[in-house]
Amino acid sequence: MSNIWKSVKLDFSLVEPYTKTILFALVLPSVFAAINRSLLTGISFAMCFMAMTTGYTFSVTERNSMERLYGILPVRKSEIVIGRYIFIIIMGLIALLFSLIAHPILLVVLGETIRLSDIGNAAAMGIFLFALYTVFLLPGYYKLGSIKGRMFLYIPAACFLATLSFITMDPAKNSTLFFTVIRFPAISVILAIAAAAAMYILSILVSVKIVQNKEM
Amino acid sequence: MDNCLEVKNLSKSFGNFQLRDITFTLPKGYIMGLIGPNGSGKTTTIKLILNMLKRTNGEVKILGLDNITDEQAAKSNLGVVFDTNYFSDDWKIPQVEKSISAFYPNWNTHKFSDLLEKFRILPSKKVNELSKGMQMKLMLACAFSYDAKLLILDEPTSGLDPVSRDELLNILSEYIEDGGHSVLFSTHITGDLERVADYITYIRYGELFFSGGKDEFIDSFQIVKGGHGELPADLSAKAFGIREFTTGFEALIRTQDQKQFAHLSAEPATIDDIVVFTNKIGGQHE
Repeated sequence: MSNIWKSVKLDFSLVEPYTKTILFALVLPSVFAAINRSLLTGISFAMCFMAMTTGYTFSVTERNSMERLYGILPVRKSEIVIGRYIFIIIMGLIALLFSLIAHPILLVVLGETIRLSDIGNAAAMGIFLFALYTVFLLPGYYKLGSIKGRMFLYIPAACFLATLSFITMDPAKNSTLFFTVIRFPAISVILAIAAAAAMYILSILVSVKIVQNKEM
Repeated sequence: MDNCLEVKNLSKSFGNFQLRDITFTLPKGYIMGLIGPNGSGKTTTIKLILNMLKRTNGEVKILGLDNITDEQAAKSNLGVVFDTNYFSDDWKIPQVEKSISAFYPNWNTHKFSDLLEKFRILPSKKVNELSKGMQMKLMLACAFSYDAKLLILDEPTSGLDPVSRDELLNILSEYIEDGGHSVLFSTHITGDLERVADYITYIRYGELFFSGGKDEFIDSFQIVKGGHGELPADLSAKAFGIREFTTGFEALIRTQDQKQFAHLSAEPATIDDIVVFTNKIGGQHE
């Protein structure tokens, strides 16, 4: 097992005692999806809530002065950082998969029509939004700690509100690139993955630099 | 003689504090006490050895490996115990093992279980349910379970009751018995070192005051005493510190200077005496 995967496992064990809270963050957006009768709204909330839970690993580490543990483990600082990003991405994917399965079922039960292309576009938006939320948040946590770093949640929150205004617009009355892309869900998913990958690479580079310059 | 730890000209500057040219060597199979008053640079030295702080200058070799270029290999043979535990408070003992063991290929689960039993740590407990002494033993059990060749302890006995301290010293003595393991033990409870240490490294105001055998360190100093009015005029130039009472005085001097003051009564100094007197105002090195 590589050191990165060992770090991912260590992060899972850090949040293990908070499983119930994380499950709550996973399930709650279903309520918003049901109230708004909108798959995109539900996914937006799900990704926003899951991005907010990324602070758990940082606050548990800080509360227990676990930087000393990270300092003595036989791993590179960059491996610990990449491990944390992978852990966060896995959490985001779990939230996305859960929402992509649960929300359409819920909406169909409520009498809404959900097409496969709606699910595809929701997946693309979920990937992009979660990446957008976390690429600012994680360097913020590394730089300022879990309390001060929370201010980087404002960036995801602003993005979330902006997204809401987008998705309430009527696609039929728009001819922008955004609405052209969402007519082809496969392309929107590929574009979202590519954008997320590029953002994560930059974010990881920034976080590794912050951690390498930090003295424990 | 193989060295377990080699520290050469280690330096670090922080704002007003400077650690300057710390050099010492810990041979394999021995315990070294790292002493000095609070703020002298003990923890900084340890953090520099662990590469948790960036050194300004110097070199550190752990089991012959550079602590920066060979950091991973060096740390896989290193066990560290701090004054407080570094596990998540919410972890139960099996979670501690699951989280830590993955990082050490030679982790021995049976040994860990045996150590838990030996140290009377109940596996059903959470870390925050263990006493400070038990938490320290848990950190030791982890280090012993992957057979760490060098154990670094930073103030492990501070806040421990005498029974737990005694147990720790017994554990350390047992740990080095086979000659293949070594301990660097930072403490300001010097009585612990009188009992178990083979070597002493004494850091004072960020500078190395002494590094060598414990007996050599203790034998290098004497406490001279005299009655009221018997304080020789030339003593203050030789003494590291003088403590005056209404009934007389006592001072710490180098053993080699004792002949000059043969008329005064002398007795061996303890490590505590040496640390206290060398940090008193009025000594020759102030």
